Amino acid sequence: MSACAFPSLPTRARRSWTAWAVGLAVALAALVLVAPALRWLFWDATWVGQSRAACGPAGACWAMITARAPQILLGFYPAGHGWRVGLAVAMLAVGLAPLAWRRRAGLTMLTAPVGALACLALMGGAGILPSVPSAYWGGLALNLIVGAVSAIFALPIGILLSLARRSTLPVIRILASAYVEAVRAAPLIVVLFAAAVLVPLLIPPQWSLDKLTRAIVAITFFEAAYMAEAVRGGLMAVPQGQREAARALGLKGWQVLVFVVLPQALRTATPALVNSFIGLLKDTSLIYVIGVLDITGVLRNAVSDYAWQGLEPEAYIFVGLTFWLLCFGLSRWSAALERRAARAQGAPS
Amino acid sequence: MSQPMIEIADLQKWYGDQHVLRGVDLSVRSGERIVVLGPSGSGKSTLIRTVNGLEPHQGGTIRVDGHDLDARGQAGAAARRATGMVFQAFNLFPHLSILDNCTLAPIRVAGLARAEAETQAMALLERVRIADHARKFPIQLSGGQQQRAAIARALAMAPKVMLFDEPTSALDPEMVGEVLDVMCGLAESGMTMMVVTHEMQFARDVADRVIFMDQGRIIESGPPASFFADPREARTRAFLGRLRA
Repeated sequence: MSACAFPSLPTRARRSWTAWAVGLAVALAALVLVAPALRWLFWDATWVGQSRAACGPAGACWAMITARAPQILLGFYPAGHGWRVGLAVAMLAVGLAPLAWRRRAGLTMLTAPVGALACLALMGGAGILPSVPSAYWGGLALNLIVGAVSAIFALPIGILLSLARRSTLPVIRILASAYVEAVRAAPLIVVLFAAAVLVPLLIPPQWSLDKLTRAIVAITFFEAAYMAEAVRGGLMAVPQGQREAARALGLKGWQVLVFVVLPQALRTATPALVNSFIGLLKDTSLIYVIGVLDITGVLRNAVSDYAWQGLEPEAYIFVGLTFWLLCFGLSRWSAALERRAARAQGAPS
Repeated sequence: MSQPMIEIADLQKWYGDQHVLRGVDLSVRSGERIVVLGPSGSGKSTLIRTVNGLEPHQGGTIRVDGHDLDARGQAGAAARRATGMVFQAFNLFPHLSILDNCTLAPIRVAGLARAEAETQAMALLERVRIADHARKFPIQLSGGQQQRAAIARALAMAPKVMLFDEPTSALDPEMVGEVLDVMCGLAESGMTMMVVTHEMQFARDVADRVIFMDQGRIIESGPPASFFADPREARTRAFLGRLRA
């Protein structure tokens, strides 16, 4: 008997008593705090109107959001060309579609960059459609396009970096590690600033890329460093026996990588990759440093308008909720992908 | 008699300072079944891992099916392709179905068309009696089924020699039999086999020759009947004595 004298745990009955008390207290507090917020957000809010004067004093003034909806979505993209933005975002989606196609998910590595290029071509005109300089791109569409295009090109670069960090050649290994460590230690805003201001000083103007393109390239290479670390984690999780089995079957080095190691590594790395992509999507707001107006910039612009002055709370709550919805949606989508992959392999989920 | 299927001469292997294979000589006839025994750390797994080039060796030569394993280009590749390997931990590819596990190398390495590779793979899965599970993923199968699938996967590349590295050591006891059964059938079909195992009954029933290794050397070898009944070396007797105890 005495050998098993573990300290006794609180009994279930007593614990559930305190649980009830704490639960009730929290619920009451929430009601007291949340109810006025909900009143302000919905009940007393004004949804339509031409200026702040149309809004009641007790509630939120969402009239600004509805009045500025086209700009919030598309920025100052020329009227009548909005369809191009819609189609451009659709191109991104089409490029990413094979991801949902279990047997050929790897095809995304080819289709996504094509989709991204099609997206940029549609936005800019590519010499066929009327040209729209990137200074006119903006709104939520800009956040989505910059985020997705950067991520699409950052992943292959990140994979190459992660492989380089495991190279047997010391020069390649050291260069890749130095790159990843240097980039991860720099804030994105500094990198963007360098791309916007420093690069034009160093490169003759006739070679220089458009300002937004420079920003996208900067974000791509910035993000690649983070993706490289996520993929490296996945690579380390693939057991040595997998490589041995593949080599014993006669697969060449690159085949072992493409058909055996990477599919497993990327699946393991998916949560970390999605995590870093969510971070990237939120960071797209920082492109204000190059003077284009993303969703945050458009709203900042709106509240500086005399008609909507003083509506910063509404503006930032709306931006916050929009990003929250996007990022939460992404996180649920990736969780669904993981569950489906696990189910396909019969793992208990 | 033609040339031996495997010919190993004065094989030397180090892991850093550790001398794990100290001059191994071995010749295996075509169709011969060799069982390699020995205490852990004796170098038996390392030996068969060097035979298919998974482990590099530092001295001596290995010829498989007449090709020098260390030769550059075609000859070295032919030597490696002549062997198939079955691992203790199965090492099936978890992201591929059983069928895709068995067709990956035939399609990507041997260049077969998918349909042809699948027909051939199904025949092999039939032979190891898991054709019903072809569309499942490795995690859905029992250990014994996985190991049989791994055997089918290795056979899909039509090797001339099959190497087994403790194929039943990771299995639950009730699944050992089904794997040994498949290996026995393979032996009856005339496959050249080198098997590292602790299954003495398999060694007695199937092996043409038993090899006993200790400290990186082959200490004793002979047909199972005399090997088990009348071991000459003291170390062999000690090893067999411990097994019986």
